[in-house]
Amino acid sequence: MFSMASSTLEITVISGEDIRNNRKPVKKNAFAVIRTDSQPLCRTEMDKDGGSYPYWNEKHNVEIPQLARFITVEVQCKTSAGDKTLGMARIPVSDFVGGFVPQSYLHFLSYRLRNSNGERNGIINVSVKAKVPEYAASSCSSTATTIGVPFGKTPCYGGVVPGVPVGAPIMKQYYQG
Amino acid sequence: MGNYYSDVEGGKQAVGGVQQSPTATNNNNAGHNDAVEFFYRSRGLHQRFARVELSLSAINLRDRDIISKSDPMAVVYAKNIDGKLEELGRTEVILNSLNPTWIEKVTVAFQFEIVQPLVFHVYDVDTKFHNIPLKTLKLKDQDFLGEATCVLSEVLTKQNRSLTLNLRSKIGHVGLRNLGVLTIHAEETVALRRVVEMMLHCSYLDNKDIFSKSDPFLRISRIMESGGSIPICKTEVVNNNLNPKWKPLCLSVQQFGSKDNPLIIECFDFNSSGKHSLIGKLQKSVADLEKLQEGRSGENLTITSHHGHKKVLKGELFVDQFCEKEQYSFLDYVSCGFELNFLDYVSCGFELNFMVAVDFTASNGNPQNPDSLHYIDPSGQLNSYQKAIMEVGEVIQFYDSDRRYPAWGFGGKTFDGTISHCFNLNGSAGSFEVEGVEGNMSAYASALHNVTLAGPTLFGQVIKTAAQIASQYVSYNSKKYFILLIITDGVLTDLQETKDALVKASDLPLSILIVGVRGADFGQMEVLDADKGQRLESSTDRVATRDIVQFVPM
Repeated sequence: MFSMASSTLEITVISGEDIRNNRKPVKKNAFAVIRTDSQPLCRTEMDKDGGSYPYWNEKHNVEIPQLARFITVEVQCKTSAGDKTLGMARIPVSDFVGGFVPQSYLHFLSYRLRNSNGERNGIINVSVKAKVPEYAASSCSSTATTIGVPFGKTPCYGGVVPGVPVGAPIMKQYYQG
Repeated sequence: MGNYYSDVEGGKQAVGGVQQSPTATNNNNAGHNDAVEFFYRSRGLHQRFARVELSLSAINLRDRDIISKSDPMAVVYAKNIDGKLEELGRTEVILNSLNPTWIEKVTVAFQFEIVQPLVFHVYDVDTKFHNIPLKTLKLKDQDFLGEATCVLSEVLTKQNRSLTLNLRSKIGHVGLRNLGVLTIHAEETVALRRVVEMMLHCSYLDNKDIFSKSDPFLRISRIMESGGSIPICKTEVVNNNLNPKWKPLCLSVQQFGSKDNPLIIECFDFNSSGKHSLIGKLQKSVADLEKLQEGRSGENLTITSHHGHKKVLKGELFVDQFCEKEQYSFLDYVSCGFELNFLDYVSCGFELNFMVAVDFTASNGNPQNPDSLHYIDPSGQLNSYQKAIMEVGEVIQFYDSDRRYPAWGFGGKTFDGTISHCFNLNGSAGSFEVEGVEGNMSAYASALHNVTLAGPTLFGQVIKTAAQIASQYVSYNSKKYFILLIITDGVLTDLQETKDALVKASDLPLSILIVGVRGADFGQMEVLDADKGQRLESSTDRVATRDIVQFVPM
């Protein structure tokens, strides 16, 4: 269900590198969780054989609130005490929004994971692509929808724009022509 | 309609050899083939094709010119399934000859599984071809001398790998018979990169001209197992001189085979009629020439008289300099690990585009001083920056169809007194482009007059500008891949800022080649190069998607 102020992202959680549990390489069953500060977005399956170089390559469509500035990736594994976070990275939304590439560019991004002590613990590889909304399928009820606005011609530089087509990611470069 | 006079200046240019001025060279897809071959090799894939070089010669061509003879050039096409012809390459133009043996080879990828029909056209070139890139010669302006067709495998399966075909008029035209024959010789090439650079001179040459002195040039040929010889290069012509000294000649291992293979070196007196008089010749291998240089001795030329008697001449050949080196192909260095290899882009039909950035920091030394890395030598000897620009230019011309590319300087104080870390080399406020190597060289020379060397050495601005250009082209949906060449003498001041810019640019269609001049401490560059597997990290914990930097010490 579309919410009024969110953007859709296609995130592929690709793999992790050199991830350790208490300094020892992870044996198996690592998985990744993606969330914003307030809510979880998706999680991958466990990689049964991957060990400290887990490979998931799972594509998920998620919605993030339009004002979100980070999404967080956590690599976790199951322990007897529950799910343990081995490493975490915060992906700034500005890393895949803004700049000069088109909105639908498939970004390949990698980040340093840090454990709960702030120590380095491997790398996470993802790809992110902002989804162009399908107006025809949009089930929103906003009267501010303007279908057919030519992208890039609306003269607005960043920030929230009234009258922006609902569901369209608020991407700064979107309006920079 | 034939020409009254042939283009004599064009015929005097050096041909063959490895380093040529960009306008004279005509390298027919060799750069692209290098890239594709490297792509397969780097993946450990079985090569499904072999690279083959075709040498062409013809006998009894039709004479189209009035006073002089035809100036023939051959063009090789692949015939596609739909019958359309796609040009694979062309030879150089030979002056005034109805029996030309072209030196310039055409490279073809021989694919084992498919039939490859080839079509050859021979033209008499009318327009002036001096200093015009041969590939821009409009064929419809030239006189058509004849056509031949065959299939590539036919040439390779013949004994001696040579196939001789009758030239005929184009299909559908009623034409003259007896247009001569075309011989196609094929050789498989190996992508070796060792080259030999030599400076040769001769003394006491015989005078073949009546009212002036000989105009000598050398032609070097390789002897084939079958006994015949194939020319691999010729020097430029030195006018009116019996003790000529030629510009440095560069031969690749590809051309001479092994250092022990015998080569025939012939010294001719150039005649504008096209009938050059042989002054003398000798037979030496590359190893022999090296010995001549070491011993600082000369070797006499010989000439065989009509009776078959070999006469030793007073003229001698000397080798003043002999240098063996690896010739770096920039394409070898622009290789990346991780997800996206630039060759992935090239093999998907991406067009390569270059950008150049030149270091204007004070550590290069005052350009007025002969010790400076930016010293412009009045004798014409190129400094390291000029050499790097020339070498890039040679690669660019294969890929960049419009020859215009961005060129910047960094670390210098520009006309308004402020230090810029990314200023337009051409001094223009609006445009950052230069046109071709000549444009780049002259922009560089004038920048040296207008810009004061300053510092510090920072790459961040240039990298960001390049990344911006690369990402803008992504949005135009054009298939362009960018290579930024940074020529620098030195030590980076802000390694972290550079790393940040590199990490941010790491998922764009961009590669960065850092060419280090002089032997400065390049330890930092090697960190950026990340060849030991350490991915670059930004100050915000982002890690480079791929290794986009290669470092090449000059």
